[in-house]
Amino acid sequence: MSAVTDERAAEPAFEVDLGGGGRPSRRRLPAFAWWMVLPAALILFAITLYPLIYSLRISFFRYDLTAGVEPVFIGFENYRRLLFDDARFWGSLWRTLYLVVAGIGIQLVLGTFLASLLARLQRYRALITALVLVPVMMAPVVVAVQGMVVYNAQYGPLNYLLNRMGLPGLVWLGDRSIALQTILLTDVWQWTPFVAIILAAGMSSLPADLYEAAEVDGANRWQMFRRITLPLLQPLIIVVVLLRLMDIFKMFDYVYVLTRGGPGSATETLSYYNYLQGLQFFSFGYAAAMSFVQIIILSVVAALLVRRIRGGFA
Amino acid sequence: MTTMTDVATAHERALVRRRRVEQARGVGRTLLLAAALVFFLAPVLWIAMTAFKTQREVFSFPPVFIPETIDLRHFRATLSGTGGRALRDSMIVATSATGLSLLVGVPAAYAISRFRIGGAHLPLWILSIRMFPPVVAAIPLFLLYRQIGLLDSYLGLTLAYLTFNVPFVVWMMKGFFDDLPRELEDAALVDGANRWQAFVRIALPLAVPGLVSTALLCFIFAWNEFLMALFLTRSNVITLPVALSSLVGGSQILWGQIGALAIVAIIPVVLIAILLQRYVVRGLTLGAVKG
Repeated sequence: MSAVTDERAAEPAFEVDLGGGGRPSRRRLPAFAWWMVLPAALILFAITLYPLIYSLRISFFRYDLTAGVEPVFIGFENYRRLLFDDARFWGSLWRTLYLVVAGIGIQLVLGTFLASLLARLQRYRALITALVLVPVMMAPVVVAVQGMVVYNAQYGPLNYLLNRMGLPGLVWLGDRSIALQTILLTDVWQWTPFVAIILAAGMSSLPADLYEAAEVDGANRWQMFRRITLPLLQPLIIVVVLLRLMDIFKMFDYVYVLTRGGPGSATETLSYYNYLQGLQFFSFGYAAAMSFVQIIILSVVAALLVRRIRGGFA
Repeated sequence: MTTMTDVATAHERALVRRRRVEQARGVGRTLLLAAALVFFLAPVLWIAMTAFKTQREVFSFPPVFIPETIDLRHFRATLSGTGGRALRDSMIVATSATGLSLLVGVPAAYAISRFRIGGAHLPLWILSIRMFPPVVAAIPLFLLYRQIGLLDSYLGLTLAYLTFNVPFVVWMMKGFFDDLPRELEDAALVDGANRWQAFVRIALPLAVPGLVSTALLCFIFAWNEFLMALFLTRSNVITLPVALSSLVGGSQILWGQIGALAIVAIIPVVLIAILLQRYVVRGLTLGAVKG
């Protein structure tokens, strides 16, 4: 178990477990064990590993369905074009990274705040948690469809609200300079409760005596938050960051429904551009190369985070 | 000079002031929480209201909050057409994806939990598959399916959903099996049961709560999935997210019906969320938070 323990403080009741630890058994494994994993292993091989290997292979080919010719081996040409010749790819990469960083930042701040409200609830906590959980459980496509209604520049309730407050309405989806922020807002709306609920679960399991001791020592609220809550929640925060990173990095559904990457390419994310290259332009070799570049970027970032979790927080 | 009574009253006053501050803070927190609830629920209510509006009510400004007539005509209209088919297809695909992933995932999870197959790294490796952007798997699957005729089929989409649901099941159920005491199974083995019987008769029944919550989360993941469905289906299989996305992309957009279909898509997941609150946190954090 890689449960995070802190010698100086009582151990929080939540547990951050990302595998690892656990001694591999020296005994010979019974055949039973192998039979039990065999179906899952076969299926995972067939539907994940094989496609991945296949994808890696075609990333070295020119494989355009529209051209109607057999795949041609072109070595690293797809990767070269992608990395050195494709401004649209870089645009979508920066946009995605912006969404990741801004999204995680905003959701952590708002989520921590909301979590501190939830964690203090004595009555109706289960009910309110369930209500707040509604956005999280909804299909992203449904959230986006709802967004089309809410963000509508002419008839939408959001602009109506702004007008009532004496502010001009915005063209939420049709304005180059706003559309990406609208996508960000959509993600913040759907996932801030997720962050909040997890952090609230962590907060209410923190030992109360620490806070009492701090109060006796004359610490104010901010100091308690900064010196007790945050350090103890750090493992949990890193898990949340990791999960949000993976999710935002592959953002596709909102973009597809709300803007189709537009106006122009103002909201094109990596996954969306990858989809365009694959399923709209039928450049499979090129799309496969793009997939691999995505995997590499994601793996590096995730590995750094996981290492931090495993390495402790001293 | 300060007397004892002065000290006492000063102390009392401080206490009263503190209680007042506490009360004010309490009210402030309640207000903030109420504001948060409005922020997170108002859009959902809005789309729900849309399901009852006439086209004229949708296109009016200032917006209509409460539609004039509340009836189910949009629900009937959409469910008797595309929406009904989409509901059926989503049910079929989500149910079979859930069933299949449990069928192969649970035994694997048990073996990994009890025998540590693959050592420490296998579970994490399995988990990382789940983290991949779906577009990465969707493109090769599309090409593969095109060759073997699985495009636009229930089986094809169901199998594609195993890419994220099997790792999820293995990971979650390994966690639940790890939590179970091994002594009962050991006792059964001593009493002459074989490994399979120990698994089916002892461990599995004890893991039912975990099993149910894992299954329901699998169902939701498949129910909500969009990208794979977009890549791998056309006209034979149309899931709810695909149907919704094409309805809002059409030329004549029937907002009432779209609202109705959105509600149809939301209801099951919300019910599950309410039923499973505790396990949802564990599931959504992939077991990292054991709630």
